Amino acid sequence: MASSQVNARAIARGDIEEQAALIRAAYECGAPIAPLRNALSAATIEDAYAVQAVNTAFWEEEGRKIVGAKIGLTAKAVQAQFDVDQPDFGHLFADMAVNEGDTVAAGRLLQPKVEAEVAFVMERTPDAGRLTTAELIDSVAYALPAIEIVDSRIADWDISIVDTVADNASSGLFVLGTKPKALADIDLQLCGMVLEKNGEPVSFGAGAACLGNPLHALGWLAAKMAEVGRPVQKGDVILSGALGPIVAAEAGDHIEVRIEGLGSVRVNFGCNE
Amino acid sequence: MIDITAIAERLDEAARTASATPQLEEPISLEEAYAVQAASLERRYARGEKRIGIKMGLTSRAKMTQMGVEEVIWGRLTDAMLVEDGDTIDFPAYVHPRVEPEIAFLLDRPLTGRVTPMQALEAVAAIAPALEIIDSRYENFKFSLTDVIADNSSSSNFVVGPWSDPHRDFSNLGLILRLSGVVKQIGSSAAILGDPIRSLVAAARLTSEAGEPLQAGDIVLAGGATAAEALSPGQHVQVAIQNLGSANFRTSEHFEERD
Repeated sequence: MASSQVNARAIARGDIEEQAALIRAAYECGAPIAPLRNALSAATIEDAYAVQAVNTAFWEEEGRKIVGAKIGLTAKAVQAQFDVDQPDFGHLFADMAVNEGDTVAAGRLLQPKVEAEVAFVMERTPDAGRLTTAELIDSVAYALPAIEIVDSRIADWDISIVDTVADNASSGLFVLGTKPKALADIDLQLCGMVLEKNGEPVSFGAGAACLGNPLHALGWLAAKMAEVGRPVQKGDVILSGALGPIVAAEAGDHIEVRIEGLGSVRVNFGCNE
Repeated sequence: MIDITAIAERLDEAARTASATPQLEEPISLEEAYAVQAASLERRYARGEKRIGIKMGLTSRAKMTQMGVEEVIWGRLTDAMLVEDGDTIDFPAYVHPRVEPEIAFLLDRPLTGRVTPMQALEAVAAIAPALEIIDSRYENFKFSLTDVIADNSSSSNFVVGPWSDPHRDFSNLGLILRLSGVVKQIGSSAAILGDPIRSLVAAARLTSEAGEPLQAGDIVLAGGATAAEALSPGQHVQVAIQNLGSANFRTSEHFEERD
């Protein structure tokens, strides 16, 4: 097993704080930084979450509100690429929400990419002691189609598991569809997904691409958030992880995602003028 | 001078005896490639096989880019190629078989020439989940565009699952291909030209141009919705498609000695 998968902290507190500050600087200056793994060669996933937590606390102190979480690394192929056997998570802040159909201003993100996902909106905190599929279904109020706009503060997306976890799981913005669907009315495993970029279908998939079923991803997250002491709350938006391959977004692009049985959602990327 | 008959005989024999053959040595035109295909099918008809439909190929943008073409291709399906849903195929009867998840159309009226997607849909009696077993007769599954057309677009066998009402949107149905229970491919019917009905529109045009238009009762395989997976002996192969159910077959256990 790779050293980065050992569940222990290996990095001094000062280095954790320093790397967290570098990530915040990348947001503030609009300039990506070198991979953290260069400076933190011994870092574990736990260290990376510690970096993430420093920034989460910093931003909450600033007044930013957490409205949910995103699940990442939910595709088998992507887990293999990162040499991990589990997903990761990042926090969603209220100011990351983009209205369906709106335009993301040029320059707001460093190097955005888009993914088609299922958004679960929670009815209540699932009981972490009995996280069956039934308990999960029962704890979800409804689902929405979603576009996750991921971004990396690491130059050229040259990321390892440590880099992405430290960087709030490479989250950027998110766009929710507006027509809620009950889970009973959706085939979460077989729902077809097509992502169109400027009218051209470029990414295809289905619910099963997300850990076999987006509900399995939700179950992992519910357990993880309970473990780290931030249990999923009523009203939280949980982004499931991608239903198909990720797509780079350029200035001027318009993106539409359709998930069969769940609905569609769109977003535009503004030009530099 | 291209010897259409000789090439057709070589490819037909390669298919009949499950033995790989080298790629065609000399470049041939698209028209010549389809002429070879037609001639090799004539040999099958002479053995008593009946044409029951066609298959479409290169229906994904990724495959068109890979082959450097802008047009889909097609091949003929015969009754001998149809494997009943749930049956077992004889593994040694193939050169190097692969499987692709597909959607099948069943027509209940002829479909000729240039048609609109609406006209194409009107000719569809039913749609079904399907599995196509493709098996290039060329060594190492390597071929040029004209090579593969001459080789009946690699078609070998196909399995069709239960038929469904086609009047429910099938443009973005999720699908999963499993080999012995393990998920191998995940995709959407939207990967077939953006909407599988466009494949039927192309089928109507191409077969009419070839003087062999689609007939009532024809089956049209719309094209692969994901990359193909190589088959091995002793497998259970299943495609499950949103709203449509599943199609299944097995591959025989290893190489029994045959008399």
